[in-house]
Amino acid sequence: MFLSSMSPATSLSALRERIRQIERPAGHRVLPFGIKAVDQVLPGGGLALGAVHEIIGYGGDEEDGAAAAGFAAGILARIKKGEEPGQGPVLWCLKQPDLYGPGLLAHGLDPARLVLVVAQRDDELLWTIEEGLRSGPAAGLAAVVGEIGRLPMVASRRLQLAAERSGIITLLLRRWRSGAEAAAERNRPSAALTRWRVTASSSKDPGWGVGVGARKIRNIGQPRWRVELLRCRGGVPAAWIVEVADATGHVFVSAELADRPVAPAPTIREHNEPQHRRTG
Amino acid sequence: MPLADALAFLPNLATRDAEPAADIAALARLAEWCHRYSPWTAPDGGNGIKIEITGCAHLWGGEAQLSSDLAERLTRQGIGHRVAIAGTLGAAWALARFAADSHQPALPAADDERTALAPLPVEALRLDPATSAGLHRVGLRQIGDLYLMPRDALARRFGEAVAGRLDQALGVLPEPLSPLGEAPVRRVRLSFAEPISDPADFSRAIERLADDLVTRLAREGMGARRLDLAFHRLDGRVEHIRLGTAQPSRDPRHLAKLLAMRLDMVEVGGAGSSDDPGGAVEDVILTLFATDPLPPEQPGFTNDPHAAVDSLAPLLDRIAARLGPGAVVHIGTRESHIPEHASFYAAVGDRPAAAAPPVEKPPRPVRLFTPPEPIEAIWELPDEPPVHFTWRRLAHRVSHADGPERIAEEWWRDGGTLAADAIRDYYRVEDAAGRRFWLFRSGLPGDPPPRWFVHGLFA
Repeated sequence: MFLSSMSPATSLSALRERIRQIERPAGHRVLPFGIKAVDQVLPGGGLALGAVHEIIGYGGDEEDGAAAAGFAAGILARIKKGEEPGQGPVLWCLKQPDLYGPGLLAHGLDPARLVLVVAQRDDELLWTIEEGLRSGPAAGLAAVVGEIGRLPMVASRRLQLAAERSGIITLLLRRWRSGAEAAAERNRPSAALTRWRVTASSSKDPGWGVGVGARKIRNIGQPRWRVELLRCRGGVPAAWIVEVADATGHVFVSAELADRPVAPAPTIREHNEPQHRRTG
Repeated sequence: MPLADALAFLPNLATRDAEPAADIAALARLAEWCHRYSPWTAPDGGNGIKIEITGCAHLWGGEAQLSSDLAERLTRQGIGHRVAIAGTLGAAWALARFAADSHQPALPAADDERTALAPLPVEALRLDPATSAGLHRVGLRQIGDLYLMPRDALARRFGEAVAGRLDQALGVLPEPLSPLGEAPVRRVRLSFAEPISDPADFSRAIERLADDLVTRLAREGMGARRLDLAFHRLDGRVEHIRLGTAQPSRDPRHLAKLLAMRLDMVEVGGAGSSDDPGGAVEDVILTLFATDPLPPEQPGFTNDPHAAVDSLAPLLDRIAARLGPGAVVHIGTRESHIPEHASFYAAVGDRPAAAAPPVEKPPRPVRLFTPPEPIEAIWELPDEPPVHFTWRRLAHRVSHADGPERIAEEWWRDGGTLAADAIRDYYRVEDAAGRRFWLFRSGLPGDPPPRWFVHGLFA
């Protein structure tokens, strides 16, 4: 066949090029985080636009998706339309309308940009997201966000294709209502380009507070997240401790941790261990 | 006569339970079906239907043709009927019940109604039984007898009702018809000589109706906000598609697409139409109930800051058509100290008021629970955050906390109670794992003890 007619070196580099193209679908632009440590891990140097990115929570927040919403708000705040960041409407599809405008604003997302679609079932939400992606370019959508419980492989592949075609970034915040649903969905593979886990992490201790001795309660310092890139097509998993997105949507790696990826903690790692590992 | 006596005379007597509620409902459905003749129809008591056909009869080639079409269709549905057309509601009521029969509608010429009413019994004037019995006692049996009576004598003897009803029947007193439901703004219809049942035909019918409606709207500079598409089935049932739009719209393709999207939610045409020919449709009527001004477009010259949102409208309409009109909302903000009032959900069609200028406040959560969720908390000193709390059956140990931020009800607004538990002390707390919660204590320390709630979650 035609590969055999080439020299091994040529065919190898041709294959590598093809793999690179597969890994960077449709050649869409990327949205850098502006942090070297994070951007160098992501193919293309940032979060790919025109792709689906999953964001999950940890522990009790798998149900509420608070950290995921804050992380998504920071990303949406930095999406550029023309020259200005933070422009253009965002379609946000969810089941419980519990988003709070002033809180989103604190992470850089102006709630006036949001158009919320409230539906009761996952299939309705998936339909809305796909419909949003299909007519998104004509409607001038900057991004589509969906708070999804059950995400079958077929559905995520459809969304990924629709996102590639439209060039619109799609964030799927995974929210699971029960432990059983979380257990079934947590490790299910999907066609999303990346999967992130955002966990609220102890804030930087400001060193003062109320009470004395054993019952001393300190004040909350700069709040932080533990951000893990669990899965990334064409990239490697990594984790960082960052300061939560500020009013411009930017996250910062804490000064003492800058440019030093944090090794994933063993307990969390176990949590994510694929079930089919033992067959390998 | 009691039923037992009747059965004693006639043992084979067939009996049915009276179902007044079902009868009323059936009559209302029939009145709705009569929309095919006019938008102004209403059930009349328990046994009649009023139809205002002013300006409609010519569509059928005249009153006689309209009434024969109506009679033919009712016969086909197996509904016994008597039809009358007259210049007043009172006269039509009398003629339908006392002059017409099922084969012969009562259609007196306009200047002939007085004569036509004259031989009818006085009961035809919609009088209560006592009054008509009284008229009979003094020998006034026919409406014509009343024409000759002096008005004040009638009023003295029998009250205003008799003279009033007579005047209504003769058109001296006006009597407006209150229609079934809302009065439409515009109405276009498509009738089929041969009933249609193919989905492709429905789509084509919708496109033609939308085109027709839009031509009229363009002339008036209006856009559609609320629409109703009615399918009149062969068996007399009427199926509706109702929808609203996020922005006034005059785009026929957009409107047609919205309506066609919901075709599968109505029972028309349908599977096995050979078994169930009743599902075929003979009339499709598109009614417009609400409009908003929509100036003629000038493509390429829009300078409207809302233009970006406006181009979203077709997408939002499609979503609302599938998920229901309440599904698409946006977050409005207003200046309020009460957290749940500062940010609220509103329908997308209503433009948000100018956003309140952001006021420097302590941090606010990204998720807010409505209503706040009660927790069990352990705290030590009155003004301190809890040390432990249990929420959704999980225990959290508080390691860091900020607060309190006292938020009292807005007593200067209506509904202020000044109750102690309307005072909330908010704390932002972080548990040992790092999750950050927005807690509040409702009420002041003392008796009864204050209660604790989780109101929101920080990212």
